[in-house]
Amino acid sequence: MTQPVSSGLMPRDNRRREQIAVFSIAQYSFVISAASIQEIRSTDSLGGTIVELDRPVLRKVRHIVERDSRYYYVVSGCEHFHLPPSRPTTVLILRNAPVAVLVDKIEEMAEMRVLLSLPQSFRGEERTWYRGLTVLDRKVLPVANPLGFLSDAELQRLEEHNPGLLHTAEAGRREREPV
Amino acid sequence: MSAENSSLVPSFVVFHVGKRRVALSRDCVAELIASPIVFSFPHTTPLITGVALRRGRIVPVLDLGPGLLGEASPPARFFLVVERRISNSSERCAIPVQGECELVAGIMLSPASQEDFVAGYLDLKEEQIDVLDLEKAIAAGARNEEQAIPAAEALS
Repeated sequence: MTQPVSSGLMPRDNRRREQIAVFSIAQYSFVISAASIQEIRSTDSLGGTIVELDRPVLRKVRHIVERDSRYYYVVSGCEHFHLPPSRPTTVLILRNAPVAVLVDKIEEMAEMRVLLSLPQSFRGEERTWYRGLTVLDRKVLPVANPLGFLSDAELQRLEEHNPGLLHTAEAGRREREPV
Repeated sequence: MSAENSSLVPSFVVFHVGKRRVALSRDCVAELIASPIVFSFPHTTPLITGVALRRGRIVPVLDLGPGLLGEASPPARFFLVVERRISNSSERCAIPVQGECELVAGIMLSPASQEDFVAGYLDLKEEQIDVLDLEKAIAAGARNEEQAIPAAEALS
């Protein structure tokens, strides 16, 4: 785990490292902790059951997907970050949230040595989107908060407006299982 | 004026945002730097164009153009690093400025401007320079930018 958030670079000796994945959406690059990712799949080989939401109450979520008996809301990364439409080719299936994020591509796996707090001047949705900022190859990149892709309130809205959807997906999966 | 007396006279940093010449109290200006590399990433806070890395610290870059000019300010070669007061703490931000900066001593006079972010003015060689209230200038810019976004969306 990386050192707790601080406003400046940590002294070299105190730095702990965190394995991360660098992904891109549109022209931007983002970092996410590798520990928060369950699986990285190509959109072409995602497999599993994909169910379209009857009522897409959030623009960024239109489907759920089943993977290994677990269900994930598919979050469009470009909609989440209010970016223009892009061509997602990769899905990040998260570990501790029922979320699968569509991103353009994985750029690299790397090590994060420092996590800087987001300056207080930032006061919008980015405070939920990011854990902070990091410096990688002399570039400042935002570190995505895996729990920020869908807030508790957004999850609740999705479940309230699509009751029984997870059961439908479960039934679909059972039908596909060999007897 | 003796050195002792001159230290009692408030000083101001005079600079350009676009074509508009304005001033800030010297107390809130930390330094003037050459244009740093500005890193941008998605966010929703008005006026912030990105962040710069300065001495190991993240410094947000704030464009005062939307508040002062009604539009984004032109590309800048220099940035003024200023100290903001936010929630009982302070934070350094970089403001892109055009042309040269000047340190002047003078007495700030009551504002003649209707703009709420003008704290007063300096009378310099028959030129009146508005002295900014930094936080109000940022708030005014944020208001202008937030109003401009729905209008742009309506036109698109």
